[in-house]
Amino acid sequence: MKGKSIFTVVAAIVSVVFLVSYVSAQEVRVYMGLSPENNVKVVNFVKEKTGIQILQTFQSFGEIEAKVKSEAPNFNADMVTGCGSPLAFMAKKNKWAAPYDSPGWKGATSEFFDPDKYWFNMSNFTFVLVGNRDKLKEKGYTLPNSWRGLLDPKWKDQIVMPSPLSSGTANMIRYTFLALYGEEKGWKFIADLDKNIHHYSRSGNAPTDLVGRGEFLLGITSHENVKKRIDEGYPLIWTIPEEGTGYDGTFAFIFPGTKMTDACKKIIDAMGSLEFSKMMAEMGYVTPRPAYNALFGDKPLNYVKLDLGWAAENRPKWNDIWKEKFRTEFK
Amino acid sequence: MAKAEAFALPESTLWERIKTFVNAELINILAVLLFLLLAFFLLYPILAVLIKSIRGPQGYTLSYYVKFLSKGYYYQSLINTLLLGTINTIICLGVGFCLAYLTTRGPLGLRKPLKLLTMMPLIAPPYLFALSLIILFGRNGIITNAFHLKWSIYGFSGVVIAQTLAFIPLAYLMIENTIRSLNPNLEESAYDMGATEATIIRTVTIPLLTPGILKAGLLVFVMTIAEFGNAAILGGRTPFLAPDTYTMIIGEGDFEMGSVLSVMLIMPCIIIFFMHNYMLKGKGYTTISGKPVASEPRKMTPYIKIPFIIVSFAAGLAIVICFGLVLVASFVKILGVKNEIVFSHIKDLECNLAIYNSTKVSLIAALIGATIGTLLAYVIVRGKFFGRSFIEMISLSGFALPGTVIGIGYLLAFNAPPLKLTGGIIILALNCVFRFLAVGVEAGISKLHQISIEIEEASSDLGANFMTTFYKVVLPLMFPAFIAGFIYTFMTTMVSLSAVVFLVSPGFELAAVRIFDRAIYGEIGLASATTMKLVIIVIICMILLNFATRKTGLDISKKGG
Repeated sequence: MKGKSIFTVVAAIVSVVFLVSYVSAQEVRVYMGLSPENNVKVVNFVKEKTGIQILQTFQSFGEIEAKVKSEAPNFNADMVTGCGSPLAFMAKKNKWAAPYDSPGWKGATSEFFDPDKYWFNMSNFTFVLVGNRDKLKEKGYTLPNSWRGLLDPKWKDQIVMPSPLSSGTANMIRYTFLALYGEEKGWKFIADLDKNIHHYSRSGNAPTDLVGRGEFLLGITSHENVKKRIDEGYPLIWTIPEEGTGYDGTFAFIFPGTKMTDACKKIIDAMGSLEFSKMMAEMGYVTPRPAYNALFGDKPLNYVKLDLGWAAENRPKWNDIWKEKFRTEFK
Repeated sequence: MAKAEAFALPESTLWERIKTFVNAELINILAVLLFLLLAFFLLYPILAVLIKSIRGPQGYTLSYYVKFLSKGYYYQSLINTLLLGTINTIICLGVGFCLAYLTTRGPLGLRKPLKLLTMMPLIAPPYLFALSLIILFGRNGIITNAFHLKWSIYGFSGVVIAQTLAFIPLAYLMIENTIRSLNPNLEESAYDMGATEATIIRTVTIPLLTPGILKAGLLVFVMTIAEFGNAAILGGRTPFLAPDTYTMIIGEGDFEMGSVLSVMLIMPCIIIFFMHNYMLKGKGYTTISGKPVASEPRKMTPYIKIPFIIVSFAAGLAIVICFGLVLVASFVKILGVKNEIVFSHIKDLECNLAIYNSTKVSLIAALIGATIGTLLAYVIVRGKFFGRSFIEMISLSGFALPGTVIGIGYLLAFNAPPLKLTGGIIILALNCVFRFLAVGVEAGISKLHQISIEIEEASSDLGANFMTTFYKVVLPLMFPAFIAGFIYTFMTTMVSLSAVVFLVSPGFELAAVRIFDRAIYGEIGLASATTMKLVIIVIICMILLNFATRKTGLDISKKGG
């Protein structure tokens, strides 16, 4: 039978494919919210130190939060490594995280892990102002030294920043401006800034690449890939304007009820090590154990005074305001 | 049941009675099973979206719809989407027709190359064109810099161009298929009676092609408004329903509003689906039956040929340039910024895993999809039960359902026990099976209409039971339809993004999703390299399949789609 022979061929292919996929090491499924490249570094670190293979998809903080919320309590992963403070606090409150007293984190800076051991902050990240060196020179512009400088009409349609609805970086940018200027004036500032924004990107790192490729002059972006892109040869320059910048953690926690609890615990332990801090600091993150920061150097960063609890609590309200002002009213 | 019992002998055991019953009623049992599958995997997810859009935390409410209709943003999004769909459909049909006419009636030397060229985008993710257009026309693009263009690719026009290029092949494929099954005698007699070529095209060819053109239009419209890759990458701040739905569900977790947007997306599609069915009802489009007589190709008149060639060449050139750029970008460090040759994009292992997953999912989906499609076609044509045309309508409705909506439907329907399917590979495959089922079913139906029932009757008269007849007679005859379903499902599953993007989970990432993430992130090099690898894998698989079918003596190019 002609039909039979090709059916056999196809069936054989499919079964071989299936067989191959079941021969694999200890695997943990993880929601990871760092930049894709930095995620890979963490995956490799964990593999090297513990032998555990992390399976991951890249998602922004907002996406992970939406996913965890929609899946709870039937999570499709074993743990989260890299989410913003809103989700970490929410996970503790709703018991979406399993507490673990990790020996690996003894002696780390105490702000970096939950006193009740529900979450662990792998490191803090922050946002910077980036510009395209070549394009700025062409126009005869310089990088503004104050956030207010971004309101100049000459930047119209030349600035990109992420959307606070989907990006944790943008959420951090928003609460930093609200903390810096106060809520009322802060919203006024964001609204004025909106006039010069070309569009809001989905992920917090996208502006780095868009500006680096010369598509736009300026970007407000996560620091995460800035150093790497400059090393790769993108004509990028960056600064932290005089008012300072904000920060958020990259939190890790274990989902309750996962079959891989032991492996997840080993991953958490590994993240508390000095070696891990050193690796993160090399990418420019501020780490739970002191290490030399390759992007910012030894000098402590100029932070705007922040209360992450206040920011997490108000986030739903601010999202509604933001949506109302910049998304649902079409201009 | 009563019927079966009447046939059964009184002393027969229960097992034998069941056997007799099953044998007599097999086609009906099959119909019920298939209907349950369709209801469960196609209707239920859509229903889930509908329910979600009217259920708030305090019970049923229309407040989300009120919000949709009262905000200028959403309204604009709806208008943009419909406008995009309409413009795109018209352009794709026009260019598709020119191409199809040239490759079937045009100069012989031109036919094959033009055909291959036009089919290329079918095996690449549709948003490949967004990548290439940014490299060319972005603010720092090659052409923008060379000619100091003021035009911005980010916006409505950019999305239209990218989507048009992406869906011309689909329109072409559908129209070309119909033209080839058209008997040229009718056109020739018109020509012999003195009609000019323009008149023939207007009064003979196009009217006879109506079913194919309408089907192409429907498919292109639905695909254009549902595949959101291009719109998400190039849209800037111009709102479109599909990317907004995606952002709302994936980025913000706003399932209620996302569902409302989905319903708004599905409505025009369903309206067009019914219009399309209505327009074709009760009209005969069959030309003289039997095999078309081979005849000398007529020469095209220059004033038809030249414009047709210009349009086709422009489209072909655009496609070639876009593919070429992706090929180049996958070997260059940062195209336009740092033009160094590197192999790091090609070597990226993460992407290889995603491509492997895609191939696996596509093979599984194609196998299941083609099987179910063939069975459905059989049941629809040969069955004699109530609700037959309803089943036909549902199984063909896949043509009209935007992928975005089916993806969200699956996410809503299968995320909680006892039906928890999310977080694995099977949901990805099932989703694609039921989305792309229509092609296999349709191919099967048209194949079965050509096979006289007498062959089956002869087999059963000779004493074969239903199973034997089906297995030995029907299945081999329907094999081309099975292959058509298999290939279509395989190809579309490999590259489609709009539905599976909602369903991937750690460890089960697909290549199309990976490329999209990389592209939107700005990593053109990696995205291009992965696209290239995906295209090569698809081509290899198609060649293998082609080879396998040749070996077994069947020609896939004669599929009846």
